[in-house]
Amino acid sequence: MDRSRRIVLLGVLLALTLGLCVHFGATYDRNWPHPTGEQLAEDPAGWDGERVLLFGEVQERTADGLVMTVEDDSETVVRTVTVRGADVSVQVGGVVQVYGRLSERGTVQRADSIVVVNESPSDGQYKLLTSLLGGMLAAGLFLRHWRIDPREFAFRARKRGEDDG
Amino acid sequence: MADGLSHVLLAFGLFTATGWVIGWLDRRWIAVGMVGSLLPDLSRLDLILDDSTISRVVGIPFDWGGVHTLGGVVLLGALGAVLFETRQEQRRGFGLLVAGGCSHLLVDAVKRWADGAGNVPLYPVSWWRPPTPGLYVSADRWVLGVAVAVAVTTVVVDRFYGRGSAS
Repeated sequence: MDRSRRIVLLGVLLALTLGLCVHFGATYDRNWPHPTGEQLAEDPAGWDGERVLLFGEVQERTADGLVMTVEDDSETVVRTVTVRGADVSVQVGGVVQVYGRLSERGTVQRADSIVVVNESPSDGQYKLLTSLLGGMLAAGLFLRHWRIDPREFAFRARKRGEDDG
Repeated sequence: MADGLSHVLLAFGLFTATGWVIGWLDRRWIAVGMVGSLLPDLSRLDLILDDSTISRVVGIPFDWGGVHTLGGVVLLGALGAVLFETRQEQRRGFGLLVAGGCSHLLVDAVKRWADGAGNVPLYPVSWWRPPTPGLYVSADRWVLGVAVAVAVTTVVVDRFYGRGSAS
């Protein structure tokens, strides 16, 4: 494949990928069965009495649960929710998923089930660091066998196999 | 999602073992599959350029989460495949990038969710959320332990019984 054709194809595929993200963003709220941060901000009492799944950052531990903040996509806090019946090991700054019935204009949730995503902020750092290591390992092994030809916009095998066409 | 290192190590094990029965699947192509296993994690671009900023600037909804799906894996796999030189390399590259990406989605599909159903891996084909057995959360250190054990076992078996034994 020549360079110009490759660049055109890359542009088309990149546009399709970004288009997919636009479609995902435009249709997510009506296909996701639980309220997003944006929806909770617009209609705080809209889910009272319903069992919903919320993600939140733990702000405080209480006698029978915790207090968490729910954010929208721009990481603005849209709701502070008191979760009751959350008997889990999690520190302030940790992240939880809570499934349970909402009440009092979306400010109280009775937990049927709770998952500790990050027990403490250090869990988030652990995931970021290990993911970085994973990226470096994959990139390092890839570049050991392939080199990038910037002029041709292409990957070239450093050493060809016996059955390469 | 499990941590990225676990995904890469599990993909190494998967594609090395597959290479025992598929002759052309050598170290070069295993590395391509490992890169593929990280494609869904490109949704983390959100950490650099978040969805709401893009939406605000462009004026339309946008969510990097679309990449963390079958549709995203296929498109990114095709994007990567175009960069290979020959038709044969492009076919192999596409297959391995997509297979690596799907291995990521499969590993993520058994993650714990509070409501018992996972993410939407089949988007845009379907918004179905598969029920999950809830085996782990991404911060569980034992997940990486298992992935390291799989990778080490694969290296040892490959060295003595697999392709490595021939060289």
